[in-house]
Formats: sequence, structure tokens, C-alpha cells
Amino acid sequence: MYNTKQTIVAVSIAALFTGSAFAMSNNSDKTVEVSEKIDGKYAANYVEIIKNADGKYLDKTVIEAILGVEATHGRAGLEGKLDPENPYSAEVDDSIDGGNHGNAQCKIPKAFVEVHESAAANYYNDDTFVARGFGTPISEAALEVWNITVDGDGKGLPDPSVGMTVEEGGELYVKFCSMCHGEFGEGAKGYLPLAVEEDLVTSSFTDPAPMKSVGNYWPYAVTLFDYIRRTMPFWTPNAPYIGDAGYLGMTGYILQSNYIPMDDEGTELSDDTFFNSEVLMKMNKYMPNQGNWFCDHRPVIHNVRCMNNCPDEQVGGNGTGDPTQYRQARTLPDGTLQYNVPQRLHEDKPGVGHAGM
Amino acid sequence: MADKIEEKVALQTENSRNQGRRAFLKGSAAVAGGVVFSQVAQSSSGFDAKKAVAPYAGQPELTEVLQDGPARKTLGFGVRKYPYGMPSPFEKEVQRRTLEWLTPDSMASITMSPIHQLHGIITPNGLHFERFHGGVPTINPDDHRLVIHGLVERPLIFTMDDLKRFPSISRIHFVECPANGALEWKGVQLNSVQWTHGMMSCVEYTGVRLSDLLKEAGIKPEGKWIIPEGADASGLSRSLPVELAMDDCFVAYAQNGEALRREQGYPIRLVVPGCEANMWIKYLRRIMVHDVPMQEREETSKYTELMPDGTAQRFSWYMEANSVITYPSPDFKMQGPGKYYVRGLAWSGRGKVAHVDISTDGGRNWKEAHFTSPVLDKAWTRFEWEWEWDGSEAFLMSRVTDETGYVQPPMPQMRNLEGTNNVYHRTAMVTWRVHAWEDEKSGGLVENVQY
Ligand code: HEC
Repeated sequence: MYNTKQTIVAVSIAALFTGSAFAMSNNSDKTVEVSEKIDGKYAANYVEIIKNADGKYLDKTVIEAILGVEATHGRAGLEGKLDPENPYSAEVDDSIDGGNHGNAQCKIPKAFVEVHESAAANYYNDDTFVARGFGTPISEAALEVWNITVDGDGKGLPDPSVGMTVEEGGELYVKFCSMCHGEFGEGAKGYLPLAVEEDLVTSSFTDPAPMKSVGNYWPYAVTLFDYIRRTMPFWTPNAPYIGDAGYLGMTGYILQSNYIPMDDEGTELSDDTFFNSEVLMKMNKYMPNQGNWFCDHRPVIHNVRCMNNCPDEQVGGNGTGDPTQYRQARTLPDGTLQYNVPQRLHEDKPGVGHAGM
Repeated sequence: MADKIEEKVALQTENSRNQGRRAFLKGSAAVAGGVVFSQVAQSSSGFDAKKAVAPYAGQPELTEVLQDGPARKTLGFGVRKYPYGMPSPFEKEVQRRTLEWLTPDSMASITMSPIHQLHGIITPNGLHFERFHGGVPTINPDDHRLVIHGLVERPLIFTMDDLKRFPSISRIHFVECPANGALEWKGVQLNSVQWTHGMMSCVEYTGVRLSDLLKEAGIKPEGKWIIPEGADASGLSRSLPVELAMDDCFVAYAQNGEALRREQGYPIRLVVPGCEANMWIKYLRRIMVHDVPMQEREETSKYTELMPDGTAQRFSWYMEANSVITYPSPDFKMQGPGKYYVRGLAWSGRGKVAHVDISTDGGRNWKEAHFTSPVLDKAWTRFEWEWEWDGSEAFLMSRVTDETGYVQPPMPQMRNLEGTNNVYHRTAMVTWRVHAWEDEKSGGLVENVQY
């Protein structure tokens, strides 16, 4: 579970001076000695280092002082950032039994000290707070009608007695959903498909971006049930005539269309499977793309603020350093560049607002 | 050399960051008899009116008589013709716009603010960008309720009147869709800053601190996440870690001094300063305190970033520091060589803007701009820089550095690391190519190009 207690404060800050000083930022005369490192990797006194650099926790020199000069940035630096002891890590334990990777939690990195200090002052350390009494108490039971949240662990799902066969779910889907999403989830009229077999890796930067959908992208199957019960069919969301049983059946049908297995043997749903919350939670562990996710670890780019004669890779021309090497927008039919309001493509006529507003 | 520049930069920033403090610094410098006095001594002749008008020398004078029009000769309209005032009809081109091909219908769609036609740092309510997932409901505030429940000591329900009894705060913040700039991942699409950067706005919000409301209900120690939800057809939900909720979030009922517009969540919305706009739940009616995140569709299927190796990044809460030159920009044409005051907007989801630098040569050399607006936390900051355009082809870029030390990267660097299938958070620099004045066909045009 997510533990807000910082586990590294025990490390003595004054214990070890390396003797090397790190200049923190633009012309700052403040420097901080790096003390002992957490696991021999990360400066234990990172809070001090950040504060001495006027809070510049994303400054290249500050990051290097904390993570070490050898710290690689960009995608290659991701590995180190998955270590919860790393002050810049956004990752915490996946200890929940939802899927094979658990209900992954991300957190605000410890290096973002301002956020944590503000939360501490506004909340954790506010021992003077006295409730004003402006609200009215309400029972959790009374709120059941509003509470439609299903979390990544499946908390909030209907009782296993509720459900219907995948075939029945498919019939409902065809009736209420297929006009927009296609009979087999292939999409229709420009609306999103719900089952695609696209590779998430493209060979070139200019290839069209792959379509992301339930089978090839979504990390959780429970999200599907939560979302369609919450919002679909688009024009009449959370429809009582579909009900929990119907939404479960349609969830089963969409998962079947995406060939999601429910065990190690790769068993797929059959038309007469009674699809309920238990089957859904089994499948929640076998979403094909589940292992390919990581918490936000931006920024991955740490540039220094160069003012004069900047290196080629920082200059226009995509590495050539030649600013006249650029790409242009599409042109008008006669070949000239399209400019300004009347020439923009597909836009509303001036004086007319957004269609449907 | 490098040291000198940095010194100057540091000084300028100090001055422009705090208007009140600048006056103080100037005053104390004069008393100390430093730089200020010696400059005055050098230009002892003072203001020379003849020299001042020199640029007008040799220009023909206008000789036609100025004709008075109806504005002068007849009475204008009286009070309360418009009980709720509207912009002049001459401003009718200033409007939010959409690209029909982006979405199959208008209820789950987006419009962009006319960034190039805005001034200062406040977006008027009628020009605030829109992003809906289930259309705009018209909610009677008397019937609206906000509940806080889940892992709390005491679930509570609030009326609008209850909420307005709490201590209020007013803050100016930008609100930005993480897809702002998305059209530009694969290359340049369209020539307007409205399309490249218009999925954002900046207004003054007034409301109640979220921490006050959450404390009122008493979060249990297991409560580590809050899950806000809207009362509209999309029932939009997201998961926010409790640290973020307790930092600087608030529940807003007003924007720019009046009630929220329906398009922005009337009667109440969540404000999550610096973070993706989809977390700013509109029509807020329920906040569930929970032990784990929800993994809602808007934090898994959407608003996650696909990387070139096929992995994807999730929970990308903060909006990176970003900047754009709004004048000149592709909607404008240069009026000949001479002085220009290059203007634009800079903002950072992680705090205040520290520096904005301008390059006219595609990023080789940079000069620091100054700020013409207050520099506020997680808000638009307006910058300006005097440019003597010699009429030759130029490549204008702006680059922001925020108070966390983050420096806005050029596009190739971001593309190489994040690929182009990402959709969201395209926050690298953009480039405006100013066509040479001499160019027969396109002289003076400003074009959106990409490296
Ligand atoms: C009128 C057309 C329409 C109908 C009918 C409809 N949908 Fe949708 N669906 C949409 C739109 C529009 C969206 C995208 C909404 C948004 O972006 O906020 C969507 C999104 C979805 C998504 C999310 C896809 C993704 O990749 O994130 C799912 C799943 C879905 N619909 C399932 C259903 C189901 C199940 C039904 C039938 C109960 C249904 N829809 C009926 C229009 C429709």
C-alpha cells in the first residue's frame, strides 16, 4: 500500500561529505554538499539540495546532484525511476489483487517538495482545524443511487448473481450500440471502434498513430463495465432498461470481440458463458497490454538554458543546425500556403458558432 | 561573457517578477547614486522633440478633411439596451472555433480559444475554450448538491448556499487540455495559434478550498485518493492523490467575477491548478474518498501517452511549462521592416514562469523577453520583446524556463524521446517562419513550420 511516511529520513544527513560542490543554477552562489546516498544511489539530503537551489527540483544540475552525474535522462532513465526510494520516482507498490500488476498506483514524486509541504500544512499538520458544520450529514446507504464507481480492483461491481450470457449481451449490444461502434466493435460513422488489432508500435514518425482500443491498449477490463454503465449508450447514458445485468452482458460481448482470455490456457468466453462480476475479474488479470504501463516520469528532458551559439541539436533543422530545414503545413488546392481565417480548412463561417451549441 | 549574460538575465527577472519590488529597487539604486544617476548624466540634453519625430521625416501629410460619421452626429443607444453587455459587432470574428473533422459530433468535442486575438492574461468567459464528453447540461443550482463520502468519518452533503458560506479564495490559473498542441505531433497542420495552442484559457476562479471541504468530512487514514465525479451525461471521473487534493485545489463557483458558465461546469467545478483540464471535473456533484485509484476510462483509454516502444505513460497530471508567440503569428502579416513588439504567452503547471527567451534565428541565439503582466503561479504570463526586423527571413521561437528550472525543449528532442503517437502533452517549442519582405508572393507572411 501507498505509504506517505518517507522511509529515508533516518539516514544521517551530515554523515558523509564527498567534498565536491555542485553549482545549482544560473549564477547561484549557493551550493550543497551531497551527503550519504540512499542505497548508494540517491542523495539522502535531497530536500536540502532542492531548497538550497531555490526549489529548482527540475534543474539539470539539481537532478544530477541528487541522482548522480551518471543519471541518464530520457527513456533510458526510466528504470531507476521505478525504484520507490528514488526521490524522482512516481511509482509505488502494486499490492492490490486486481490484475497481474495490481491496481497500479502513481504518486507525486518526493522531489516535488512544495506539493508535499503544502499538503502537510493544509492537511496533515493542521491540528487546529475545527469543522464549521456547514454541510448536512448523509448516510452512505442513501448515496448508493449515486455511487456508480467501480475501481481497478473491482470494488463496486454488482453481486455475482447479476449478469447474462455473452450471447444475450451481444443482442443488447447490437440493439443499443452497434449503430455507432459497429456490430463487432469495428466502429461506424466516425465513432470509436471497440476492437482493433493494431500494433502499438509504428515504424516511422510520420505513420498515422495507431488506433488504441480495449484489446490492444486498455490496462483494465473493469474500466469497460464502469465506463459503459456510466456513459453509454451515448444519447441515453446509464439506461435503466439495460440495467447492471445488461451492462455486464455487453461488457462480456466486447471482451469476447477483443479475444481476451480468462486463464493461463487462453480460454476465451463462449456465447453461453454467464458473464458476471467474477468472470470479469478473472479477465481483468489477462488484459494483453497490462504490463506495458508506467507512471508519469516527466520531464525526461533536462536542458540547460543556452543563450548564445547554442549547439546544433538545440537549433532548428532537426539536428542539422540549419533553420531553413523545416516542414510545412498542407497547401491550398492551387499550391499556395493557406493562411488566415478565410483560408483555413473546414472551419465554421465567421459569425456562426459551434454546431449544436 | 557567459557570466555577464547570466547576471543581466538574473537582474531582469528579479525586476519583472515583482512589480512592487521593482519600484523599490529602482528607488534604492537612485539613492545609492549608482547606475541610474550616471545614465541620466550622460543624456543631459533631455527629451528632444525634433529628434523624437525623426522617423516621420519626409512622409507626405494627409490633407483630406476628416468627415464626422453617425457616431458623432447622432445619439448612440441608451442604457440597458443590453442588460448583459456584448462585444462590438466589429469583433464578431473573435470567437472560439472547432475543426469539424476532429470528432463525429458536437457533444463530445472541443473548441479552441482565439489566443491570437486575446490580450493580457485573462480569457473572457464567452471565449473560454470548451471540451465536453457528454454535452452541456443546464443545471438549476437550487437542485444541485455536492457530496463527500467514502473513506471519511462523516459523509456530508452540501447545497450551493452551504458552499458559499465557507471561506472563499480567488486565484488566476490557466486551464489546458493535455491535447493542446496535439495536431502538431505528426508535423504542421494549420496556420493559426488558435489551432496550435487554443485548447486552453486563463481566468480568475473563486471558490472554496478543497482541503477545507475534505477536512470537514474527516478523511480516514486509509483514504489516499479522491475520486471526483460530474453530474452531466458523461459522469466524468478521475483519480487524484490526496496530496494533490490538499495542495492547492478548490471547488470554484465563479469565473472572472460571475458564476461559472455552463460550458465550464455551472454551477461548480473542481480547479486543479497546473494539471490536465480533464481533472477539473465540471458539474461536480460527488467526491468519493478511496484507498486506490479508480482507473477510469479518462485515465486509461484516454489521457495516457503512447511511447514509441509501445509502452504508455499514465497519470500524467501536470502540464509542462510551455510558451508561444501570439504576435506576430500566422494570423498576422508583417507591415514592412522595422520595430516589432513580439508578444506571447508563457505558463507552467509546476509554478511560476521564470524566463522567456526569444530567438529569431531558429534557436541558435536567444534574448530574454520581459513580462508585461503579473507573474502568477500556474497562470498565463504575458511577455514582450522589442525586435528590429530587417526584412529578411526569420525563424521566431519562444522558450520558457519555469521556477523549477525546467527549460522548454525544441520539437526534435521531444519527438525523439516520445515519438509522435502520443497525442497528449506536446509542449515543445513551435517555430514561426517570417517570410522575407522582398519575397514577391509571400513577403511578410508568418508561417507555422516545424523542425
Ligand atoms: C450515438 C452514438 C453512440 C452510441 C449509440 C454508443 N456510443 Fe459508445 N461512444 C460514443 C462516443 C461519441 C464515444 C466517445 C465519448 C467521448 O469521447 O467522451 C463513445 C465511447 C465509447 C467507449 C470508449 C471507447 C474508448 O476507446 O475509449 C466504449 C467502450 C463505448 N462507447 C461503448 C458503448 C456501448 C457498450 C454502447 C451501447 C450500450 C455504446 N457505446 C453506444 C458514441 C456512441
